[in-house]
Amino acid sequence: MNKARILLFALVALALLVAGCTAPAPAQPAAEQPAESEAAAAPEGYNCQAYAGTEVRFLANKHPWTTAIEEYIPQFEEETGIKVNLEILPEDQFRQKVLVELTTGAGTVDVFMSMPPQEGLKYHSAGWYEPLNDYLTNASITSPDYEPDDFLPGVMGAETIEGDVIGIPIMMENEVLYYRKDIFEEKGLTPPANMEELEQTAAELTDKENDFYGFVARGKGAAAVTQFSTFLYNFGGEWLDENRKPIINSPEAVEAFEFYGKMLRDYGPPGSTNNHWYEASGILAQGKAAMYTDANSLFSVVEDPESSKVVGKIGYAMMPEGPAGNHPYVSVWGISMASSSQNKEATWCLMQWLTSKDMVKNAQMKGIPGGRRSVWADPDGASAFPADWVETFVASNEIAYPYDRPPVVAVSEIRDVIGKVIVTAIEGGDVQAAADQAAQEMADIMARTE
Amino acid sequence: MSESIAKQTSPHVQPPPGRRPPFLVRHAKWVFIGPAVIVMILIMIYPLGYTLWMGFHEWFASSVVPPKFVGLDNYVRIFTDDARFWDAFWRTVYFTVLAISIQTVLGVGIALIFNRNFLGKGLVRTLFLFPMVATPVAIALVWMMMYNPVLGVLRYFLDIVGLPPVEWVSNRLLVIPALVIVDTWQWTPLITLMTLAGLSALPVEPYEAAVIDGASGWQILRYVTLPLLRPVIVVAVLFRSIDAIKTFDIIYVMTQGGPAFASETLNIYIFQTGFNYFHLGYASSLLIVLFIIVMSVSVLLIRFRRVDW
Repeated sequence: MNKARILLFALVALALLVAGCTAPAPAQPAAEQPAESEAAAAPEGYNCQAYAGTEVRFLANKHPWTTAIEEYIPQFEEETGIKVNLEILPEDQFRQKVLVELTTGAGTVDVFMSMPPQEGLKYHSAGWYEPLNDYLTNASITSPDYEPDDFLPGVMGAETIEGDVIGIPIMMENEVLYYRKDIFEEKGLTPPANMEELEQTAAELTDKENDFYGFVARGKGAAAVTQFSTFLYNFGGEWLDENRKPIINSPEAVEAFEFYGKMLRDYGPPGSTNNHWYEASGILAQGKAAMYTDANSLFSVVEDPESSKVVGKIGYAMMPEGPAGNHPYVSVWGISMASSSQNKEATWCLMQWLTSKDMVKNAQMKGIPGGRRSVWADPDGASAFPADWVETFVASNEIAYPYDRPPVVAVSEIRDVIGKVIVTAIEGGDVQAAADQAAQEMADIMARTE
Repeated sequence: MSESIAKQTSPHVQPPPGRRPPFLVRHAKWVFIGPAVIVMILIMIYPLGYTLWMGFHEWFASSVVPPKFVGLDNYVRIFTDDARFWDAFWRTVYFTVLAISIQTVLGVGIALIFNRNFLGKGLVRTLFLFPMVATPVAIALVWMMMYNPVLGVLRYFLDIVGLPPVEWVSNRLLVIPALVIVDTWQWTPLITLMTLAGLSALPVEPYEAAVIDGASGWQILRYVTLPLLRPVIVVAVLFRSIDAIKTFDIIYVMTQGGPAFASETLNIYIFQTGFNYFHLGYASSLLIVLFIIVMSVSVLLIRFRRVDW
């Protein structure tokens, strides 16, 4: 790369920086003049090799993204001389370990994977996230071609709490409708556009005698809560009102619970109440269901020739609209810096490298949907995804709802409480009574934990 | 014991007159039991004491608020305002009683059969012990697949016989019996094994006397074998009960306490409270209650072993 190009990049980065800057006012009036002197300094300023020999500890969840990027880590170590200690754990143990280590505040973790809708509020109020706003705008440690504005605003929004950027998105997912293209074509059907059509289509395709079901989705209590969320929003329900009072027993919410329960009870496979995504996606992959609502990231499971009998037969459509419109959730996994880290600059070097355009593209070519506009525009970047998948992904993110679970501190506990209502709905029990009780329990838990 | 050791050792290392014996020799009895005491304190007494101490605190580990001393509040809540605890308690009783009754009857019965001579006895006995050796998590995963109402192998057999699919672990009423089946499959061999050991140690004389008195096979079993075996069976039941009350692995792997808490036993509830909800103080007080329950059951069973029928 020659000097002139570096200078150009630096100027562009600086211009973006100034444009998006919410930082101290004094910098702005003088922006024109110092731009040149700073830009000249930038190539020297941005230098991750300065931290060679530093060790960065990265706690990661055993997640497709981790698998995809793991092999590139040595490349980073070679480029910068920074040593990365990557620890990968299964999700439950991972969450526990991160929590325990952050609680001690001993600075043992530098960077960790984090899911803002799950733990964002909790970790942010505990002060465990290092706010990244200043890092993103600091040309001396952020590479000029990093371009933070390349991230889709909705995705970055999910990583922002009270103005603090708490992480950089690495993967995002929305809820979509998976359907059997071949069967729909054969019967002359189109993917259902709204909830009534969803039910009609499911009824038409269900053939219990032959063990074929019109609809499958998660039903296992807490695990089903996130995939139920889009139904809740589309029927006009919400978890909390503006005063943070639980309203999952509102008429709209109860209607959503009843609809979801009925779909699984009447048109779903037996045993739905113990179906997590492994079981539910397995039923679709074994060719025993016509439609399936879940996170679009699971397409890799149903398109895997090793385990799926329906490879190439699956179509992807937007979630069906409800009486209150269409609000598919967006859920984001990101990487965050621990505020107790002792090596913040080296950690930031690793974080920006992992979320650089090249790395996002590398991961995306392995089927991990990232949040960078430029990578989706690149035909290579979209190559790992079916065309209708990309279409629904982009369209869903235009209208996406920023969370897929109640925005509370004690998320796990409250998911269990709401999960009980979903199970009751699937069993055909008294949903209103269950929802009333759950709303009361939610209020009690929130009073104890917030 | 340690006193006598101290007395015995000192003459051999008699120090020259006027000098005190070495430190280790003077305190030999402490030196000898020391390692055991230290290990006990580290791995049993300290954690227990710490749990007890945490049980008097409100400690929500997801916030920066430090633990707050609340005295007996946690215990008051357990006994007056925690329906989920009592549901879990009765579920634990249900699971334990069901599992242990079936396993005892089956286990003792199978031991009596294995105690006879038949072709291939050695092989069958060895094969029968396999489930006990296997990893519970692996077993739970396999049973989970077999129970799957759409794709599982049990569904396949039900189809052959012409029965409708059964929901097994997805049904609130069937989930505990379904888990008991798994537990029984795995742990009946333990009762068999202990009973077999007891059988091989029985005296011959009572049997000779019974035969001379003209007792039938059933009478011998009822009035000679079972009473003689009772201490062994009680120990086996004691071991299994303590284990069953605390069953965690198969339930956690197969249902995580679901559907809708229908298989949430005390141990699962405590785990969720502590490691999923992060209420460490409350979970500690629950643990103390569980500890007392397990202790009481053990004491009762040991008493029972001594009483006459």
